[in-house]
Formats: sequence, C-alpha cells, structure tokens
Amino acid sequence: MKMIQPIKIEDIRNFSIIAHIDHGKSTIADRILEITDTVSQREKREQILDNMDLEREKGITIKSKAVRIIYKSLKGGQYVFNLIDTPGHVDFSYEVSRNLAACEGALLVVDAAQGVQAQTISNVQMAMENNLSIIPVINKIDLPTADIEKVSNEIRKIKGLENSPIFLVSAKDGTGIREMLEAVIEYIPHPGGSVKEPLQALIFDSVYNPYQGSIVYIRVVNGLVKPGMKIQTMSNKKNYEVNEVGIFIPKRKSVNQLSVGEVGYLTASFKDVSLTKVGDTITDAERPSSQQLPGYKKVTPVVFCSFYPVENEDYPNLQYALEKLSLNDSSISFIAENSPALGFGFRCGFLGLLHMEIIQERLEREYKIQLIATTPSVLYRVHLKDKKVVEINNPSELPDTNLIDFIEEPFIELTLISPSQFVGGVMELLQDRRGIFKNLEYLDKDRARLLYHLPLNEIMLDFYDRIKSISKGYASIDYHIIGYQSSALIKVEILVNQDVVDNLSFISHKDKAYERARKLVDNLKTAIPHQLFEVPIQARINHKIIARSTVRALKKNVLAKCYGGDITRKRKLLEKQKAGKKRMKRIGKVEIPQEAFMSILKID
Amino acid sequence: MSINKKIGLYIHIPFCLSKCPYCDFFSIVSHDDELKERYVSALINEIEIYGRKIKDMELISIYVGGGTPTVLEGEQLKEILSSCFYNFSVAEKAEITIEVNPGTIDGDKIKTIFRAGVNRISIGGQSFNDRVLKKIGRIHSKEDIMKTYQLARYAGFNNINVDLMFGLPGLSKREFEKTLKELMMLRPEHISLYALTIEQGTPFYEFIESGKARLPSDDFCSKLFVSAIDLFSGNGYEHYEISNFALTGKRCIHNELYWKNESYLGIGAGATSYLDNKRYQNYRDLNQYINLLESGILPIRYQEILPLKERMAETIILKLRMMEGLNKDDFRKKFKVPVEKVFYTPLQTLQEQGLLADNGSNYLLTKKGILLANNVFTEFLD
Repeated sequence: MKMIQPIKIEDIRNFSIIAHIDHGKSTIADRILEITDTVSQREKREQILDNMDLEREKGITIKSKAVRIIYKSLKGGQYVFNLIDTPGHVDFSYEVSRNLAACEGALLVVDAAQGVQAQTISNVQMAMENNLSIIPVINKIDLPTADIEKVSNEIRKIKGLENSPIFLVSAKDGTGIREMLEAVIEYIPHPGGSVKEPLQALIFDSVYNPYQGSIVYIRVVNGLVKPGMKIQTMSNKKNYEVNEVGIFIPKRKSVNQLSVGEVGYLTASFKDVSLTKVGDTITDAERPSSQQLPGYKKVTPVVFCSFYPVENEDYPNLQYALEKLSLNDSSISFIAENSPALGFGFRCGFLGLLHMEIIQERLEREYKIQLIATTPSVLYRVHLKDKKVVEINNPSELPDTNLIDFIEEPFIELTLISPSQFVGGVMELLQDRRGIFKNLEYLDKDRARLLYHLPLNEIMLDFYDRIKSISKGYASIDYHIIGYQSSALIKVEILVNQDVVDNLSFISHKDKAYERARKLVDNLKTAIPHQLFEVPIQARINHKIIARSTVRALKKNVLAKCYGGDITRKRKLLEKQKAGKKRMKRIGKVEIPQEAFMSILKID
Repeated sequence: MSINKKIGLYIHIPFCLSKCPYCDFFSIVSHDDELKERYVSALINEIEIYGRKIKDMELISIYVGGGTPTVLEGEQLKEILSSCFYNFSVAEKAEITIEVNPGTIDGDKIKTIFRAGVNRISIGGQSFNDRVLKKIGRIHSKEDIMKTYQLARYAGFNNINVDLMFGLPGLSKREFEKTLKELMMLRPEHISLYALTIEQGTPFYEFIESGKARLPSDDFCSKLFVSAIDLFSGNGYEHYEISNFALTGKRCIHNELYWKNESYLGIGAGATSYLDNKRYQNYRDLNQYINLLESGILPIRYQEILPLKERMAETIILKLRMMEGLNKDDFRKKFKVPVEKVFYTPLQTLQEQGLLADNGSNYLLTKKGILLANNVFTEFLD
C-alpha cells in the first residue's frame, strides 16, 4: 500500500464502533477492512481485530486496536480512516472512554433483532460525554427476525439520536457497508488541533512487547511526534526518547512522524505498561504543553479475590504468571498472602468481575496453573470510632466490631433492559439484592428500561446467571460505579469447634447475615468429615451466636472383610484416605478439607 | 524359596450363577461348561508348576473361594484337590475349606466334596430374612441356607462357617436380632459378621449414589455390631478378629495366615500370593490366564516387593485386626527393631484418642477402636 505523506487534516476521520456484545462490532470491522482492501483475502481471518483466543471465544474485545484504512470515497477523494476498536465490557469502561476520546465520531451498532440493549445506551452516553458524532447503524438486517422499524424507533428514543439518520447494514453479506463509510466522511468531523502547537498526544492503550517494552497507542491532538524526540508523560513528568512511531495497517508499520489528528503507535524506553497509563498525555519534553488532556485518572481495582494454586509447588509459577500478565495490564494488582487453610497465594485486584474471570482463565489456560479462587469481594471503607478510615478488601481483615463506627461500600448505577413480561421478576431480584429503584421507562410496548442503585457486592455472586434465567436470556445489563455509601454491614464470624476460622468469616448486610450464616453452617456440616468427637459449627455476630450446626462424632469406620486378595487393595484404599486427610487443614483439633473453605462460595 | 515353611493355598473359582450387586470380588457369570473345564485344567497346570517350584513348603490350609466354587461339578472340585495332594505336601491336619452358596449344592455334591478331603465349609448366608436377601440380590432363601447347613452336617462336616452381613438396606434391628437368634440355634463353629461395604464400581455403589437405596446410619450399624458381639460372646464364641467369631479351637487357620501377614500361595485367575515378602497377582482375564498356563507359563500379572516400612505397617494393620493385637516381641523378632522406634507418634496419638490399648506385651484395639479401625490403620501409613 502506498502512503501519501503528509496527510491533510481535513481528510482524516477517527472513529470507533460501539455496540452491545454480539451485535456485530467485530464483523463490521472485518467488512470495512475487506472492502477497503486493508487486508487481502489471503490474510483474512474472521474477526481480524480480536487477537487473543480468549477474545474470540468470549466474543468480546479486551484490548483495543487501531487500524489505519485508506478509503476512496464514491464521490471522489481519498481519506484516511483510523478505526479504533474498543473493549466491549463494562469492566473496561474507563479504557472505552479514553478510546472514544481519541475519536471524533462513532458508529453505534444495534442488532436488528435484539434492538437497543443496556450497553447500547451507556455507550451512547459515553460517546456524548466525549462530544462524538454518532452514526446509528442497524446490523444483521438479513436476519429473518429483524424488525427494522421497531429497532429504529428504539434508537430514536435515545436522547441525542432523535433526528439521526440511521444506516442499515448486514455485515454478514456486506450490504450497506459502503453507504455507512460514506456517512463517516459526511457526518464525522475531521480532527481539529494545530501542528504548530506543542505536542499533546493521548495514550489510549498500550501493549507490552518483550523487546521494545511498552508499545503505546496514541492520538496526536496537537503538534507532531517523531523518532529521536524527547518526550514526557505528563502525569508523572518522566522523560523518554522516542525510538519509533508508526501505524497499524493492520500490521505494524513504522513511519517518519505522526502529526496532529493522526492515530498510531510510539515506542520509547518504557519498560512496562505501568509507565504508560491509559488517559495520560505525552508531550514534547523540550517544549512541553501547558496542559494535560482532560479525563486522565488512575484506574483502581474494584473487585478483589485471592488466587491459590491447587498444588503448593505452583506458587512460584503463579507469581511469575501474574508478573507477566501485569506487564501488559497495569490494572491488575496482586500481593502475596498466606492463608492457614489454603497455603500461599495472592490477593488480586481487578477492574471488575469479567476482568477477574479473564485473568483466572488466562492463568489456567496459558500458564496451566490450577487455581482456587476465593469469593470476590469489594473494597470496603471502614470508619473507625477514632475517626481513622481503613480500606479492606478481605473480610478477615475487618477490625474488631467494637472499634467500628460505620462501614461504606461501593454502589453502582445499574441499567437493565428487559422484555416487559420479565420486569416483575427482575425487580424482585434487584430488591432482594438491596437495590434502590430509580426509574422505569418503556422503550416500546414490550421492552422496559430499569434504573437501580445497588451495592456492587450484590452483583458479585450469581447475579448475571440469575438475571439470565429470570429473563430467559433476554435482559441486558450495564453498570458503573457511582461512589461509596454507608451500609449496615456486619462481620459474621465462623467458629469451628470454638475456634474462629478467618477464611470462613464474611461481611454481610445485617438483614442477610442470618440467612447466609445459616446456609454456610449447614454447608459446612456436610463438607467437614466426621471427626472422633462432636464438632460444633457456629456463626457469630458480636459475640452472639446466630446459627449453629453440629458434625456428629464418627461412630464407625471399619473395613469389614480383609482376606488375602484384599490386602494390597485395602492398603491402597487406606493410603488414599490418609492422603485425603493430609490435604486437610488442621484448625485446633479439627481437620477441615479444602471443600469446606470453598463452601463459602455457595451461600448466595 | 525358603525352606520348611508353613503356608496356605488359596484357589480361586471365578464363576457365579449371578452377580451380587454389592460384590467386588472377581467373578463372572458363565454357563459355558467348556470354559469351566478348561479353567479347571489350567488350575491343575498351575498347581503342577508350583508343585515343582516349592518343594520345601508345607500347606497347612487350603481354601477354595470365589466366586462360587460350587458352580463346578463335584468331580471337578475333587480333581483340583487331588492334584493339590499329589503336588504339594499337605499337613496331616490341614484345614481345607470350600465356600458354598446356598442353592448351588445338593446332598450328593456335598458328600463328594467331603470325600474329596474338604473338612470345613463356609456358607454365604448373609441374612435369614428373605425380603432382605432379595433386596441385596442373593439368589437363595433362608430355607436354602438351612437346607445347605443340614446337608453339610449330614455329610459329616463338623466345622462350618456362616457368613452374615449387617448394615443392609431395609433391615431393621428386630429383624437382625431374629437372624442372630436363629444363627445361635444352628450353632455353627465359626461366624463371619461383616458390614455391607459399598465398593466403587458395583451396582450397589450406583444405587447409593443415585439415592435409589439408603444405607442405615453408622450409629445404627455400630449398635447392631456391638449387640452381636455381646450375643456371640455370651454363647461361647471367641471374637478373635474384627469380623470373625469362633468356638474353641475352630478359628480359621487359613484366614489367620492373612491376618498374621504370613505367606500364602494363591492360584486361579486374579488370585494373589504373598511369598518371600513379595506380593503377586495373576491375570484376571480368563482367556489370558488359561492360554498362558496351556503354554506352561505362570500367569503372573505383576509382583510387588514392599518396602520395609510398608511391610511393617501392613503387619501392624493386619495384626491389629486380630483381637489379641500386635505382639511387641513378635514385631521385634520379625523386623529387628521395636515397634515404638518406628511408630512412636501414631501409637501415642491412638492411645490418647482411646482407640488403642497397651496390655504390656501387645498393642490391641479398644472397643471404640474396633469400630473405628480404619482411623487406627491409616495412622500407620505414610
């Protein structure tokens, strides 16, 4: 492909595709790349932009990519399109917002059969906040179940899109893709900014490369950047020298410079991605810009859980794997911890549940480490009576109850779109999860949009599955964190044979404490094998026992017969019993198997 | 091979008329007479090979087990035993047992067996309750047990064992006690009383796992067991092994060899042997077993030499099954080291837990230890 440099700013269009999961974002991207001959047929793979296996499997894009496309307009003229792919999940909403900040416009893709979903709306809101021009696109019009009129009406109901022209496409067979691309030229403005201004480049993503360190995806907002230039990351005022700048077509290609309005990559001596935080601004170290681009924030984990290797020998491998993964994902945090029950492991922080799930799967799949993951927890803010505030993400760290003034927990605003007939059931579940009703509106006669505030903790376990089963899979959810609120939270301690077992203790809203405690002590009763003596299991709040169960003493454990042919086999059987016993953890006089510690995961 | 050793001989007959759903012993259901005949010839081949190999050992017991040995013809059983007498030196007072399933034998066959030299019969009675017998898949009735017992007595047997099970699904305490009373009236010389154990891979395992059948609680079973021990003791039976009771002088010599961890030779498909601290096992597959022997090759599937520590542990475990327990001197003589030197911690722990007692010369299970024997045994394993 021949590149003509320099490019006139008027001929550049920077845009993203935003869509609810499975509405066809990646397929549309593929068609665009094909139609514009950005990839040859030979190079073609389905869903070219999704690199990682996991992305392909889960149908979501985890890491954003930026591709430069040369587009020849039907009306004449040649344009440079920079297509910026965005992560498709709520956990990465900050990344999405920075991806969008690198664009002037967005294609809003809505499935012709499924219509507007929760994520569609939050995507629009985010695009609007970034002043993007939005082009609504209805995809999958080839489906027999497509209902274009209905979906168009739903789109027109979204604030800001009341009068937008809507484009109809079928990414599958290519229908309407041309028209959609023409609309990009017409409806999305070209970038602003000036090449004469000091350099301001927005970091909207970065990936780790073992030879070059962090490869940074940038959008040049003002000025230009080229190899050899001294640059500075404005959040921490650190200076580096640029090694290389380039573009993706979609393979990496180095260029002489990236100028105002352009999108591409940059390498410097960044040793890992933690130095190139998404949202940060790169400027000219010798002629720095007076201000950082708006919207930078440090991303902090909101969901925590501990990973323990099933086999103790895997602990160093787990550490190595986490270190490797964090080279590429600075949002993972992890610190070593030691549990009397589970041995050595790591307390890890994530951007959300999906993020956690992805990391867990990558550890198991790519690094072949079998893991035990503990119950996910949020970060609690504990206000002590002496006015100190401590943040804890592990119930076992909760200070003594009589020192605590009150506890705050993160709340989310949840948008849920569901067919009307399931609204009752959904609301019941949300009520049960301590949801505070905010709004209910009908998108059309058979679909409603619900708005709730509820504690993040309440969606940690078995929430998505419940919503799915209540709505037969039709409801869609989106949420964002709105801040901390105080809640009536208490610590429930679990005692086994009168000893407090920290790993079994949990934090709960006081209205749910009894029910959860009851379930847990019952589960433990079956998970803890009979010992030679009776073992009481108690749940305690503030020195008051609220639930109790008893593991009865073992009365009989005897091999009935043992003759010649049995001896070896019986010995092996006993050895197996012994090995099982060895894997148990001894707390006080009681032997507790690992499954017992896992039973705390099953109480919601 | 060592010299002048007294050993036991086990002969496995892997055929049954039907397979009991709880049984995990090796047997197949076959009505193929030719196969049985070939099997008998193979057994005799194996006996002849061993007869040539181990000239210096004396058999103090022969035990024909199964399966159901009595699915073979009386003449076939006689042939097998004759071959033993011809190829081994068998002690004058050797105990020669055969397992008999009620309903598989008539007066003639039992007489043939008696004349063939068998002097002990073990009857797989299991229960005297027809409903329960049916439930556990036995093909015989209480009537059949009584008949077989009387036939054996009539044929001249003065050493009869009856197997009984407890912890059977659906068997009430009252019904079990009735069985025990009836058993006391028969007054067999020996009783094996064992709990139904659910072995993986048996149909019963599936029943229990799927909830189709329910086992009585451990609590209930241990009460039944304790009451049976009391009843038998009161009637002159010696409780000499966890599951075994005998009138004076009628302990099972053959099984005692197992529990004392002494040598035995096992022949037949799937049979195991313990000779010179090595455990052997024969091939289970009948065709393979037969074919190898037809070519004059011993059908040994594997052998295992136990490491010393495991041999010690096995000896302790087996001896603790006997009520007299582990004799400290015997252990020291056998292994040249006091048992406390090797197993100090388990011995201490178990005594603290009240599962094990020390009477000065022997370690033995306490009453509580008998019921929790597995807990005791596992302590000695690594």
